[in-house]
Amino acid sequence: MFRLPLGDWVDSAVDGLQTHLAWLFDAISSIVSNMFDGIAAVLSAPAPLLFAGIVAVIAWWLRGLLAGVLAFVGFAVIDSVELWDEAMDTLTLVLVATIIALVLAVPLGIWASRSKTVSAVTRPVLDFMQTMPAMVYLIPGVIFFGVGVVPGIIATIIFSLPPGVRMTELGIRQVDGELVEAAEAFGTTKRNTLLRVQLPLALPTIMAGINQVIMLGLSMVVIAGMVGGGGLGGAVYRAIGNVDVGLGFEAGISIVIVAMYLDRMTGALGREVSPLARRALARAQSMTGGLKIWNHRPQPVVAVSGVVILALVAGALGIFGSSGSDQDKNTADGSDIGAGKKISMGYIPWDEGIASTFLWKEMLERRGFEVDVKQYEAGALYTGMANGQIDFETDSWLPVTHASYWKKYKDNLEDMGSWYGPTSLELAVPSYMKDVRSLEDLKGKGSQFKGRIVGIEPSAGETGLLKDKILPGYGLDKEYKVVDGSTPSMLAELKRAYAKKEPIVVPLWSPHWAYNQFELTKLKDPKNLWGKGDGIHTLARKGFSADNPEVGSWLKNFKMTEDQLTSLEAQIQKSGSGKEQEAVRTWLKANPGVAGTWTPVAKGGTAKGANGKDERDRAVEMAWFPWEEDIAATYLWKAVLEERGYKINLKQFEVGPMYAAMSRGQIDVQFDGWLPYTQKNYWEKYGSQLSDLGSWYGPTSIEVAVPSYVKDVKSLADLKGKGSRFKGRIVGIEPGTATMENLKKNVLPAYGLDKEYKVLDSSTPGMLAELKRAYAKKEPIAVLLWTPHWAYSEYGMTKLADPEKAFGNGDRLHTIAAKDFPKNYPRLTKWFKDFKLSEDQLAGLENQIQKHGAGHEEEAVKAWMEKNPGIADKMAPQ
Amino acid sequence: MQKLEGGADRDELRADGTTAAVIDASFTVEPGQIFVVMGLSGSGKSTLLRMLNGLLEPTAGRVLFDGQDLTALSPAELRHVRSSKISMVFQHFALFPHRSVLENAGYGLEVQGVPRAEREKRAAEALELTGLAGWEKSWPDELSGGMQQRVGLARALATDADLLLMDESFSALDPLIRRDMQDQLLELQKRLKKTIVFITHDLNEAMRLGDRIAVMRDGRIVQLGTAEDILVTPANDYVASFTQDVDRTRVLTAGAIMAEPHTVMGTSTDDGKELRTAADVLAAAPATVTESTPIIELFTPCSQSGVAVAVTDDAGKLIGVVPRARLLAVLGEPMTPAEAPKDIRTGTTATKKVASV
Repeated sequence: MFRLPLGDWVDSAVDGLQTHLAWLFDAISSIVSNMFDGIAAVLSAPAPLLFAGIVAVIAWWLRGLLAGVLAFVGFAVIDSVELWDEAMDTLTLVLVATIIALVLAVPLGIWASRSKTVSAVTRPVLDFMQTMPAMVYLIPGVIFFGVGVVPGIIATIIFSLPPGVRMTELGIRQVDGELVEAAEAFGTTKRNTLLRVQLPLALPTIMAGINQVIMLGLSMVVIAGMVGGGGLGGAVYRAIGNVDVGLGFEAGISIVIVAMYLDRMTGALGREVSPLARRALARAQSMTGGLKIWNHRPQPVVAVSGVVILALVAGALGIFGSSGSDQDKNTADGSDIGAGKKISMGYIPWDEGIASTFLWKEMLERRGFEVDVKQYEAGALYTGMANGQIDFETDSWLPVTHASYWKKYKDNLEDMGSWYGPTSLELAVPSYMKDVRSLEDLKGKGSQFKGRIVGIEPSAGETGLLKDKILPGYGLDKEYKVVDGSTPSMLAELKRAYAKKEPIVVPLWSPHWAYNQFELTKLKDPKNLWGKGDGIHTLARKGFSADNPEVGSWLKNFKMTEDQLTSLEAQIQKSGSGKEQEAVRTWLKANPGVAGTWTPVAKGGTAKGANGKDERDRAVEMAWFPWEEDIAATYLWKAVLEERGYKINLKQFEVGPMYAAMSRGQIDVQFDGWLPYTQKNYWEKYGSQLSDLGSWYGPTSIEVAVPSYVKDVKSLADLKGKGSRFKGRIVGIEPGTATMENLKKNVLPAYGLDKEYKVLDSSTPGMLAELKRAYAKKEPIAVLLWTPHWAYSEYGMTKLADPEKAFGNGDRLHTIAAKDFPKNYPRLTKWFKDFKLSEDQLAGLENQIQKHGAGHEEEAVKAWMEKNPGIADKMAPQ
Repeated sequence: MQKLEGGADRDELRADGTTAAVIDASFTVEPGQIFVVMGLSGSGKSTLLRMLNGLLEPTAGRVLFDGQDLTALSPAELRHVRSSKISMVFQHFALFPHRSVLENAGYGLEVQGVPRAEREKRAAEALELTGLAGWEKSWPDELSGGMQQRVGLARALATDADLLLMDESFSALDPLIRRDMQDQLLELQKRLKKTIVFITHDLNEAMRLGDRIAVMRDGRIVQLGTAEDILVTPANDYVASFTQDVDRTRVLTAGAIMAEPHTVMGTSTDDGKELRTAADVLAAAPATVTESTPIIELFTPCSQSGVAVAVTDDAGKLIGVVPRARLLAVLGEPMTPAEAPKDIRTGTTATKKVASV
């Protein structure tokens, strides 16, 4: 079949438009964004409750007292869930989109109503606009207008325009032809016929169209949120990304409130502006009795003065009200390892998961970390972890039970190893079922068990195995049905049946406290269909151990015995749900010392190796890359270690071969691991065979960059006061990523830019599209970038200096060692882990090496060490 | 057009996808006349009416109004003529639902740019003329059909236009109200002496209102004349078939059916007295009527006496008699088509003339 290059045509059309009509898009963009800013300023000026009051008075006027009260309550709810600013942004977005849509739609509708040709041409165009998935507009929208509210508004306009045009055309065409003829027969001009006869009579229909425009606009706000439209849509989008049901609901209900308000008010306004509808309403009202007070509506004069008074008060408050800026909190810097660093853990509510999760929560908190624990559904847990929103979880049954998740997400996960095993999955029956000992014994006894197996979560790996392998394997799939439920419901059912000595068969796993509580028979699996026993693994998001080397190594070394686990589970079971952490504390008291072994605080090590031999006996194979910083670090360590009596063999490598060699144990250590980004692929491939000894230099990677033609901005601090040139924005990448959060929460406040600049949530492609657009036109733009990135070779860019080091953890230079290195070289491991170079130190050293020239690296290092006395002792304390 | 000129008829033209609504309709309306155009649906009468005020432009021919060719006017000039000199009353009233009765009645004045106070005064006067005083503040949908059409009439009268076009204005009303409105129109016409072109599909209505009547069929005027002309001498079978349903007794006049006075000379009265002179006839006649008396009024006298009813002129001179036999014969026999109507010029150019008012 001939491949129609439709996409290519559209591509080149969009490219052509971008080059030739840039001025037009700029004009549109500035009109739209100015409108947005103007309306946003007006809407967000009054205090929330005052604004709610204005809104309520309008509702009172248009719909009656009850509507007014409800409107006030609704908007107060939005304020109280702290989504007020977002709601105002959304309201602004919808208003701007609606105004522009109507300015286009009504004349177009009038034109279409008067000309059959126009009508015939517009109809398919409108169909196209309305049915094309709205997200498709966002792609060229971002290219033409950049990220932010503008493409969101444009997409909203395109999506919501059709009903405006259609309803206008319909409304005018619906006007009785005889009326139009009558107007003409009395000598009315065309224009007056339209204004005095057609439009007034079409008004109810046109208002219905306006109402539709607004509603469609609101339905678009979520999609607009994806390109940085912000507002409630952004909040919803964030909630989706974080699987944050609470935020999602709050943002959702806020949208509903705004939508209902706008819907009811435009509906009422339609009645108010159209004389026909107004009369119909008056008639209807005079017929209904009931609580008049609820239907009481103030005179327009009263309503308008009410709104004006409230608005004046709001204005006055806005002028005199102090806008106190948030004070930065200084967290006390403790000597503990975590130093308040945040770690988020996720768990699936399975007993061993709960036990190990809360155990780690307690232990990490004792080490000064701030641990956030959240329960997830299995799918969401893995997604969240793969997205980097969850740091680690402790309950993955690998390689069998959770194989499907691992397969899907392994590229974005780190396996920290198994801490318990082997486990087993099995079907279990109470021991009083004396004739059932093996899976084969179940055959023919379906009626005894009512033909059902009381199952657990349908998403659980065991359920899948049970349904797909075990039952068919033993020919039980016709006889037994797996009743999906949950672990607690399965256990409750087991408990109930057990108490009454009823036959029951349930999927279970070992270890499980149920085996202690009830007399159960694990059914034998002679065909070995359940597979080998799993290990319970700790999985972490990609880069977690690089960011948290201590926690990483603790987790990797974590092991629990069956006694420990079952006793901890039993303790938690005893304390009851909600008191898991107290149970852990009780258990830790009963098991003194375990916490210390699992989360050791490293002290200066000895030179004793794993097998008691001096680690200096064996030469250290050290690899280096011909990059300045690596040459510097490698030769520095060579010098220091040789002073300490180590024998060092240096080998120069390319990156790929080095990782391969190290994973096979041919190389011991290497100092130029660019993690977590640059050498991500290698780390993914070989990481499980390697040890990360932490980073010694950083951050090197993440920065705000501006094109080089922006000459006077060289540092983040230079951005200050230039907000207007950059339109007050820094184009970011995917919201919710650690880098973005860092930029918003730490970087901008650190330079006092947070009031002046807004970080636009977008996506990496969105950011790059925007950069491309801006660069092509030599516009000032600030983007979030990292090194290395092709953008730097493609464009002349200035990486803005970050003197405050506010970017914190980014790409760092890590010391990478062979898997067994920490075991074989505990003292070196300790030294390497503690190794840090400052920017000055590294630059000085590199400089020195540069001066001495190639081949004289060792002399250069010595010279530098002389200038920095004590550096050797600091690096390798004895 | 060329096909029509070449003698093609309407059906042949329709095959080409065009409809010739009005073909060759030339007539003249005298000032102060009610000129009725009568025809069935699709006969082209509404199209004809709309050409008179320029809502539709004829493909050929001219419309002369007050000596002015409307077809030659610019749109603006035409609008001016429409707003000040020609007004129109519609079949379904065409009142503006978003305007009050008063605002509706004043619409034409509003278009003319008459100041509000004067406009409202004149609109109220027009409403009073049509018997709607006191309803000014009401809305059209609160009125009955008859009242709504009175508003439509008031709207047309308020502009003080010379020519009133009425497009089946009473057809949508129920029969009693229709009759009422017809009476009122005749009443108004006596006082206002407007020139009225009235479209209807109802021959009774046409005969009742029309000073002159044009009967249309398939876009052509097939007969043009007074009610009696049409009734007594229908131009063809088509017209004749229409007249069957007409109540002749109300349309035909004594003058139209009377016999020469001498036809009764020599006959005797019921009591045996021989009639020899005009004076004898007048004395013996059960009633004496004028020429314009509808024959419905002759039935009672004729039933009471065998002597013919006498018809006199204004001076009281005997000019004819209506014997009982003649009266019955007129009702009994359908009229046979007479010779072709004189008023219609045969020809291929469609020229419509409205004589100077």
